[in-house]
Amino acid sequence: MKAFLLTLLIPVVLFTSCRKNDDVQPVTTQETAGKMTLSFKAVIGTADFALNKDFILNGKNLNFTQLRYWVSNVVLINTKGVEFSVPNAYYLIEQNNASTTNSEFTYPANKREDVELSGIPAGNYKSIRFSIGVDEKYNNNLSLQAGELSQLNGMTNVSWMWSTSYIFSSVKGKLTDGTTAKDLKIETGLNTNFKTVSLNLPAELHIGNAQSSAIVLNTDVSKIMEGVDIMTTPSIGASQASAMATVASNYATKVFAVKSIK
Amino acid sequence: MDRLNAPKHFISMLCLVVVLVVSSCKKEETTPVENAAVLHPVKLDLPGNFPPLADNPDNPLTKEGIALGKLLFYDVRLSGSNRLSCASCHRPELAFSDGVALSHIGESGNTLPRHSPALINVAWMNNGLFWDGGSTNLESQAFGPLSNEDEMHQNLLELEYKLGQVPDYVKRFQQVFKSGIKSAAIVKAIAQFERTLISGNSRYDRYIRKEAGNRLSEMELQGLALVNSKCRGCHAGELFTDNSFHNNGLDVDFSDAKLEGLFQGRYRISYQLADLGKFKTPTLRNVTLTAPYMHDGRFATLDRVLTHYENEVKVTATTDQLLYQQNGKAGISLSTMEKKAIMAFLACLTDSSFTQNKSLIK
Repeated sequence: MKAFLLTLLIPVVLFTSCRKNDDVQPVTTQETAGKMTLSFKAVIGTADFALNKDFILNGKNLNFTQLRYWVSNVVLINTKGVEFSVPNAYYLIEQNNASTTNSEFTYPANKREDVELSGIPAGNYKSIRFSIGVDEKYNNNLSLQAGELSQLNGMTNVSWMWSTSYIFSSVKGKLTDGTTAKDLKIETGLNTNFKTVSLNLPAELHIGNAQSSAIVLNTDVSKIMEGVDIMTTPSIGASQASAMATVASNYATKVFAVKSIK
Repeated sequence: MDRLNAPKHFISMLCLVVVLVVSSCKKEETTPVENAAVLHPVKLDLPGNFPPLADNPDNPLTKEGIALGKLLFYDVRLSGSNRLSCASCHRPELAFSDGVALSHIGESGNTLPRHSPALINVAWMNNGLFWDGGSTNLESQAFGPLSNEDEMHQNLLELEYKLGQVPDYVKRFQQVFKSGIKSAAIVKAIAQFERTLISGNSRYDRYIRKEAGNRLSEMELQGLALVNSKCRGCHAGELFTDNSFHNNGLDVDFSDAKLEGLFQGRYRISYQLADLGKFKTPTLRNVTLTAPYMHDGRFATLDRVLTHYENEVKVTATTDQLLYQQNGKAGISLSTMEKKAIMAFLACLTDSSFTQNKSLIK
């Protein structure tokens, strides 16, 4: 009799033990986990951002060839204050022209602004938090892999001219003031410049039942350089420590804003 | 009877459940039998007088991983033009240094601004690699020379492709890392091999471990005493390095910020003024094999190095206090006899069993 009961138990054990992690749902809610698209729409003030196009900013002409940054450690916070950390959240947001390398390989031109998140516990969400850059553990060891982290896309510093670590953000282009033209290259990196952005949503966002929710953020490129005289400092790298700290803090507090939710 | 057997039934059913659960949870992709070979964890055989070695859970050593790393270390496929391997600038017969001040054998032919460091006991280097400590671990460090255009200048995507054409590599990467050939796995394997570059069997070591029949001469012992009293502030412990950064008074001016601060020492990594002109302490082990000396190889001989410490130490705000050994004045006082004794002792740190170790050389 006992043996018979145990036989009945086997399938139960099998099914529960073999479920994949991302299928696991909280027991407390009847609703199934939801999914969501997190979008980063690049803008310059009120205009849409685009590569290879002239923009006038504070009287100077800017023409961008690249906008790239790592978004990591995405956390959604519901109205009860419960946080959901998206697992393996390392995403490279980018708009870049094709660039050649030292071999037959090229980095292809690419525009990527959407991140698909799934397995989000059903509920009403009020705010979102994410970081720009890569946290210390992964930043210090390029051989560890999580999410989209990779050494192959030009967003690492593997030159001995710097710390071997990730480039957190990179904006490149041409800067022209009157007859003076300069190459613009504004990069952030280093553990001290790993910054977290917190944004409240304009209204509660319901996620669940596999409906497609969305949070659309504006990435205001004009704010990235705020507080830096880019004519005198058109190239920001590790040796421009204070300018880099300003840019990193701009990413944390000024660059991102919620445009809309759905 | 049936009742008495109940516990037996229970146990056998339980076993069945366990078997079913385990077998049903196996990953779907089945690996070929030859790839499923067991990995053999390796615990490094440390010299008895050496400090313990911290575990490295992110890249545990295995016999197979070390063997793969050794193949890669000596493979010229790791350079853009398939001409250079790691060993081109880290030659085993020179204790994994290259014998020239500033190398220009890299892909570009440009002269490098810094001297190739010797790879000796790097498993203990837990305070940064490179002369300024710019890399936190051996794994990340390897990406530097691999991709630098003045060094191996190897595109990493192309490297994965190139190695993927070699069936033996495909098999080994699958076995060791359960993955295809990925640049992260490449540097992990190289780092595993590098951690086996242990030199701890010099005449000094055998003397200090009191191994039978190993004596140092009067002069060598005098040299040891002098080194202990004058040099061990930086060349500390049995590794003969404190793995830290010091300004040893080579230069007076660190205002040249070109090459992203390359001439400013540790400062270019920390951006602390106190780190201007500081470079990593190299080990004194095998020092007779690793000429020329200093981060830029400026001194051709050990004699020249001692002359520097004796009366050429430059005084700047960051010159190390340990070098003020002449009644508060910078420099280390050394008589001709003392220098001779020190040289005699330093030769006792040469470890031919390291440079001729079959498991380390090609």
